[in-house]
Amino acid sequence: MTTVDVAPHRRKSLRKTITDSRAIQLVILLIGVLVLWAIISATIDRPDRYLPSPLTTLFSSVDLLEKGVLISFYTDTLTRLVIGSAVGIALGIPFGLLLGLNRNIADMFYPLMNFFQSVSGIAIFPVIVIWFGNSNTTVMIVILYTSFFPIAFNVLSGVRSVPMRYISAARTLGASRFQIIKDVLLPGAMPSVAIGSRLSIGFAWRAVIAGEMLAGQAGLGNMIFAGQELDNTAQILLGMMLIGLTWIMLDHYLLRPLESDTIERWGLVQK
Amino acid sequence: MTGDAKLIVQGLSHHYPDEYTGESVHALQDINLQIHDNEFVTIVGPSGCGKTTFLNIIAGLLPYREGRAMVDGVEIKGPGPDRGVVFQEHAILPWRTVNRNIGHGLELRKVPKAEREKRVQEYIDLVGLSGFEERYPHELSGGMKQRVAVARTLCADPVIMLMDEPFAAVDAQTRITLQDELNRVVMATRRTILFITHSVEEAAFLGDRCIVFSRRPGQIKTEIKIDIPREERLWKDMVNNPKFTDARDEILSLVRSEVTNDDNS
Ligand SMILES: Nc1ncnc2c1ncn2[C@@H]1O[C@H](COP(=O)(O)OP(=O)(O)O)[C@@H](O)[C@H]1O
Ligand SMILES: [Mg+2]
Repeated sequence: MTTVDVAPHRRKSLRKTITDSRAIQLVILLIGVLVLWAIISATIDRPDRYLPSPLTTLFSSVDLLEKGVLISFYTDTLTRLVIGSAVGIALGIPFGLLLGLNRNIADMFYPLMNFFQSVSGIAIFPVIVIWFGNSNTTVMIVILYTSFFPIAFNVLSGVRSVPMRYISAARTLGASRFQIIKDVLLPGAMPSVAIGSRLSIGFAWRAVIAGEMLAGQAGLGNMIFAGQELDNTAQILLGMMLIGLTWIMLDHYLLRPLESDTIERWGLVQK
Repeated sequence: MTGDAKLIVQGLSHHYPDEYTGESVHALQDINLQIHDNEFVTIVGPSGCGKTTFLNIIAGLLPYREGRAMVDGVEIKGPGPDRGVVFQEHAILPWRTVNRNIGHGLELRKVPKAEREKRVQEYIDLVGLSGFEERYPHELSGGMKQRVAVARTLCADPVIMLMDEPFAAVDAQTRITLQDELNRVVMATRRTILFITHSVEEAAFLGDRCIVFSRRPGQIKTEIKIDIPREERLWKDMVNNPKFTDARDEILSLVRSEVTNDDNS
């Protein structure tokens, strides 16, 4: 009974304290990495070629910003990522749901899904290029393809893992099939939707970088590989930094709040 | 006397098919039973004797082929809100607050929000959950979760309430409190209840009638009337009430003989 005695406002402030200390930890970690990076950079030969210092990397961004290309690379890549994975997830959720609800359909599609799951986005790339050329469409298709399967598989298993007693309870309260899906199976599958979305967006992130490079589409992926050709290591590092930091931000501002308002609030996962 | 019978069961048997061996498990044998309006009937029997099977058939969760079962004169063909179930493992939904769990039945029936909230509040007060309306189940103790489950079933206003060892998973002290509370709630709301338990004390304490099941395949072995008015059924008084202690001892020896038989076989 001790857990129920905590007033809501106290819990909130507790959560805030935790986030504050997390933020401090993150800053300390970042500073540590930067310092280490700077030290290594300062002690090696030809740092400009092998590991430019954090400052040099930052200056290369000023350079690219002045040319006006950095922002457009960044927004191009982010737009592809967001649209591609959003469509992939939006298609994957109902498909996984359908398979989770109907054993026959699931048995029918499962081998096919397994097949495509193993054929990675990079493996289908050449054939997509043959069909759609070195175009933005090609990159988008690869992102969509890559993000579809993790979410579909997870929703499928999520729906199946909802305890039978919740379904029975809803049925005895008079729930229709549709009401059971809406009130029991969908919320019950939320932990898997969260895991699946995270995987989908993570894979989509990789697909967008590889796709841009292979299809020669302007963006962060291209910027990194152009950096190699131009012998501009700072540009490569800058691209890497932007990719990693953007993922941390996406995770922190989009995925985490979504999880803490649903599955954590419901006690379905450990905080 | 079938006029006010809420539940009628005639010649009900059940076999579970076993897909692997082709043999079947004989779970119930020729159950005949009537439960009348406002009756509180308990079923007690050794574990594995078919109690849950019986309740699931009445709940409509388990299809049956041998015998008949009717609620309010209508053949049971599936689950429905006329039969409310309180399950052994708490089956309230983790993603709904206490409020929304209790009002779920009304929500499914599209009862307008204002009326729903009024009814929910009544039952929250009745089972003593005031102040916890907006809590999620994982923030509640085991006893409170079962209070929510009971309130949810009451609030949906079923013809008959089916309870499958609802207090088996809580600690002994909480169980006694919940049993006292259930009596109070039954007095306040007048209900027809079928209550399943493996606890002889619980069966005698709660039931107007206690039905003793044999070991598997479950058959009705005997039926014992416990003629104690609801308002006198408080644990602090019952332990000294000879009507209760006699009934309990009689049921205990009946159940014990079933368990002993089981050991010999
Ligand atoms: N789904 C099932 N399939 C096969 N056998 C079952 C199934 N459910 C229960 N049984 C068997 O039926 C018998 C009665 O079970 P149950 O009704 O759960 O007993 P109780 O609730 O009295 O403990 C037990 O022997 C059990 O193993
Ligand atoms: Mg049982």
